[in-house]
Amino acid sequence: MTARIRGTGSVIQLKWIPRYTTLERSLHWAHTATFLILAATGMILFVPIFAPLARGEAGQFIRLLHRICAVFFAAVPIIYALIAPRRLLQTLKDLRFNKSDIEWLKNAFPYYVLGQHRSMPPQGRWNTGEKANVVLLVASTIIFTITGFLMWFGKGIVPAWLFQASVIIHDLAMIVSVNMFIIHFYLAVAHPLMWQSLVSMRFGVVSESYAREHHGKWYWGGDGTPPPGFGPAETQEGH
Amino acid sequence: MAKMAMLYDSSLCTACRGCQVACKQWNDLEATKTTNTGSYENPPDLSANTWTRISFFEMEEGQDVKWFFLKRGCMHCTEAACVEVCPTGALKHHPNGNVTVERELCNGCGYCTQFCPFHIPRLDQEIATGAGKSYKCNLCQDRTTNGELPACVQTCPAGALSYGDRGQMIARGQARVEYLKSHGFPNANLYGANLLGGLGRMYVLLEQPAVYGLPESPRSPALAQVWQGFVQPVAQISFGASALAVVAAFLVARRHIKMEKVE
Repeated sequence: MTARIRGTGSVIQLKWIPRYTTLERSLHWAHTATFLILAATGMILFVPIFAPLARGEAGQFIRLLHRICAVFFAAVPIIYALIAPRRLLQTLKDLRFNKSDIEWLKNAFPYYVLGQHRSMPPQGRWNTGEKANVVLLVASTIIFTITGFLMWFGKGIVPAWLFQASVIIHDLAMIVSVNMFIIHFYLAVAHPLMWQSLVSMRFGVVSESYAREHHGKWYWGGDGTPPPGFGPAETQEGH
Repeated sequence: MAKMAMLYDSSLCTACRGCQVACKQWNDLEATKTTNTGSYENPPDLSANTWTRISFFEMEEGQDVKWFFLKRGCMHCTEAACVEVCPTGALKHHPNGNVTVERELCNGCGYCTQFCPFHIPRLDQEIATGAGKSYKCNLCQDRTTNGELPACVQTCPAGALSYGDRGQMIARGQARVEYLKSHGFPNANLYGANLLGGLGRMYVLLEQPAVYGLPESPRSPALAQVWQGFVQPVAQISFGASALAVVAAFLVARRHIKMEKVE
């Protein structure tokens, strides 16, 4: 795919390369929608001004809404795994952490906050931050599902301590995932350097220069070193 | 208002279960069909429409079988786990010591049923939808705040139940325990004078609490305090901190990053 953007006095050509399949994007947005409704309906217990919504008939309705969404929240990743098991396996492999992640973490603050153009270690299809986000997301989805199931169907059947622990663990997982969501939302929607991440999740593609800059190992293959003839001069144009 | 309490004297109770009937009548609770479970106990357990119930316990001593009775129902704890975990404020303390559940506020989450150290509140709940409410003894809040005795106390023909100023109830219970100890019941004891900050329902027991299935030293579950004391504030503070950090990071990044250079 190519797109032409008219700059001041020159024509810049962007080449687009596929990053997410339609199915991956469907998974992402279906999970986003259910997550947001689940978080909003759960928030009635945490934001004082929403407290009246937790009471009586309103509270019963919101609990029902929470349960309906929970079913989809848990089902969507399972459906994805059934339709695209090989793609999922590949994704999970790409999530493994390695030595370059430490280097990435050291440079992340000056790079993403201060905008200092440090040479970040080349990243695979996922960079360290994305990997951490996905790992926490998968872990919290599993925790939500298990503890939620116990609270829904286990009341009076499982021992009281297990129900009590489920309530607390469910809420702790919520705290982690909502904070992750705030950061993820900022990076995806508002961060100047990452504007293409939202493009990629909407249309499935990133530009060639973005892939070179942020996902060198994925773009070049191997350890992310450009082959001869594609020297650093090429990579420096990207921010 | 002075703290009030109910005193149940198991040595006087004849297990006639008039209290169960009076409770259902006053609170307009549906009757439960009698079933034979191999015991005189009925209904089989506390439920959304059975707020008090006489439990039967048998203890073998050589050739003899001793038979004990206990009137179960809400203990009206001063440190009530149900009130601590209730997210709607439906469960609340009253100045007279009663712990009540307000039906209009309850959303049926059932936390109270799982955190109560005495396993008292019960739900009438559809499992799939979660629709339902929590029910338990309110110590006849409507009667007791209008100078009447609780329905069960009013009806008890054996004089096993009394209700009044909590200090007086403790004194009466202790006197009764002393009497029982000197009349062939060396294990007699008063249950609930100091437990969980003081219970609003106290028992004169003939044997150790364990014989009656009562916890020796009931505690509000540690996790009951964790929710309102830790999880809620941590959630609120961390959401605020993350949002602020993100806004600050955005303002700093916007100053340092030239969009003209970003591809």
